[in-house]
Amino acid sequence: MHKVLIANRGEIALRIQRSCRELGIQTVAAYAAVDRDLLHLKFADEIVCISKNDYLCSENLVAAALTTGCDAVHPGYGFLSENAEFCRLVEDNGLTYIGPTSEQIAEMGNKILARRAFRALGISPVPGSEEEIDNLNDAINLVSQIGYPVVVKAAFGGGGRGIRIVDDEAMLAGAFSAAKAEAAAVFGDGAVYIEKFLDDARHIEVQIFGDGKGAAIHFGTRECSIQRRQQKVIEEAPAPNISQSILDALCEQAVAAVAAIEYRNAGTLEFLYQDGEFYFVEMNTRIQVEHPVTEAITGHDLLRLQIETADGNLLQTQNDIMFNGSAIECRINAEDDCYLPSPGVLSEVIFPGGAGVRVDSHLYAGYRVPHYFDSLVAKLIVWDRDRPGTLRKMQRALDEMMITGIETNKRKLQKIVSHEKFQEGDVNTRFLDQLTG
Amino acid sequence: MDIRKVKKLVELMEESDLYEIEIKEGEDSVRISRQLGVQTQVTPPTVVLPIEPEKAAVTPSRGQIVNAPMVGTFYRAPSPGSPSFFEVGDRIKVGDILCIIESMKMMNQVKSEYAGTLEAVLVSNEQAVEFDQPLFTIV
Repeated sequence: MHKVLIANRGEIALRIQRSCRELGIQTVAAYAAVDRDLLHLKFADEIVCISKNDYLCSENLVAAALTTGCDAVHPGYGFLSENAEFCRLVEDNGLTYIGPTSEQIAEMGNKILARRAFRALGISPVPGSEEEIDNLNDAINLVSQIGYPVVVKAAFGGGGRGIRIVDDEAMLAGAFSAAKAEAAAVFGDGAVYIEKFLDDARHIEVQIFGDGKGAAIHFGTRECSIQRRQQKVIEEAPAPNISQSILDALCEQAVAAVAAIEYRNAGTLEFLYQDGEFYFVEMNTRIQVEHPVTEAITGHDLLRLQIETADGNLLQTQNDIMFNGSAIECRINAEDDCYLPSPGVLSEVIFPGGAGVRVDSHLYAGYRVPHYFDSLVAKLIVWDRDRPGTLRKMQRALDEMMITGIETNKRKLQKIVSHEKFQEGDVNTRFLDQLTG
Repeated sequence: MDIRKVKKLVELMEESDLYEIEIKEGEDSVRISRQLGVQTQVTPPTVVLPIEPEKAAVTPSRGQIVNAPMVGTFYRAPSPGSPSFFEVGDRIKVGDILCIIESMKMMNQVKSEYAGTLEAVLVSNEQAVEFDQPLFTIV
């Protein structure tokens, strides 16, 4: 592989580019016209404008890869990264797609099929419907079997969208149609399914890699329970306060399952952990936002591994993966106190540093944060030998961070990190919504 | 200073290691700078065209620019060996096919939104073009 088209923007485009450059691979930055000032364009070997303000233009992205002589495309996360048609278009045009096969994207992209597939492989999904629920009567029947509270979810959903929690029968009809409408609007398909809502669960996920030929390894767990309205805010690795043997068993189960489906490249299995049981939620067939915390505790570059796997290199063995210490990531969003987007021109950008501190961001003084895209502008990741050390370091690092010109969630993050329950690791997925009201 | 001279300057830049060229002719001036990330083709924001005092800096002194609606390879003629759709100086009607942009083996016709005379062709045959790249000016 000698030239990769980066089909994304912002911090992840820079992240992909960094690993490419370290491997001696040229990068082509595909950019929307409104993103002309993105940082990674300055380091790209070539840049190609592919649209006015969007990254969903599959044909233009593939055409840009072809006209610049790329041999591979990296989709990043979000946008087209879990779009099976895009993967197919890339591969049909003779390019390498840095990720799984289009069939795997399609299967896992349909959460109903994914639940079924993993149940067949011995991994229990969250109790709920085995099929799509397409009318209110079927919804009522199912709920009478599993009991309230339940959650209605988009079959083709992601990123926390198309989800409605239902506490009682009075809310069901409204939630059902609202979830279907949002699913149709955001994902182009109104199919929904219903799960039991686990009201005291922790979100725990397993990072895996497959070689596409039946071999797979894991890189341990992450905990992502700090979420606001289903969107992750703080993540950590490994999942704290669970015995190593239980986590190992979970990871081994995950590896066996993805090996059985001959999964290719990076993926994450997401679980809810309640009352001592792990329930499968969904599988994400791409690199995730929070991959740096796994890199911090294993010392491996997951983007580099994605590229090398796509280039046909052999996967490491499980014995090559060692775990050390604890890492936490805070997502820095361009948003005001009311969680509304806060675009603007940055006059000052001071990121923290020092031992065990990493910042993944495309921000620089003078950069204009646009309003067209989601509000994630930086990821602050810290590592230390144990969780108490990591917590202290995150507080210190957040304190040093100064971004002027936009509003950010810095103060909100500080409040969470210093909260007693977070410090004890005694949180569930409702913690943040309850804290903020 | 007309657009053909500007085009020649751009070609001069691309063939050399020059970082920046500025040329003044009387009260007209043009400055062209190279981007840090090398671009595969000309981009309009780096070219300052001679302007009427009232107009904005990056519009042509007269006429309309036809921009590429997609990414792909630019072809001036309907097929290899056949004559170009139009030559400089030809009259253009709204809806006339000006060129082909090939994308993934699909030939896409680019039709003119403007009527007038074809003043300049800003790209070369078989050149890779990006979204919104200026292709022609029609006056």
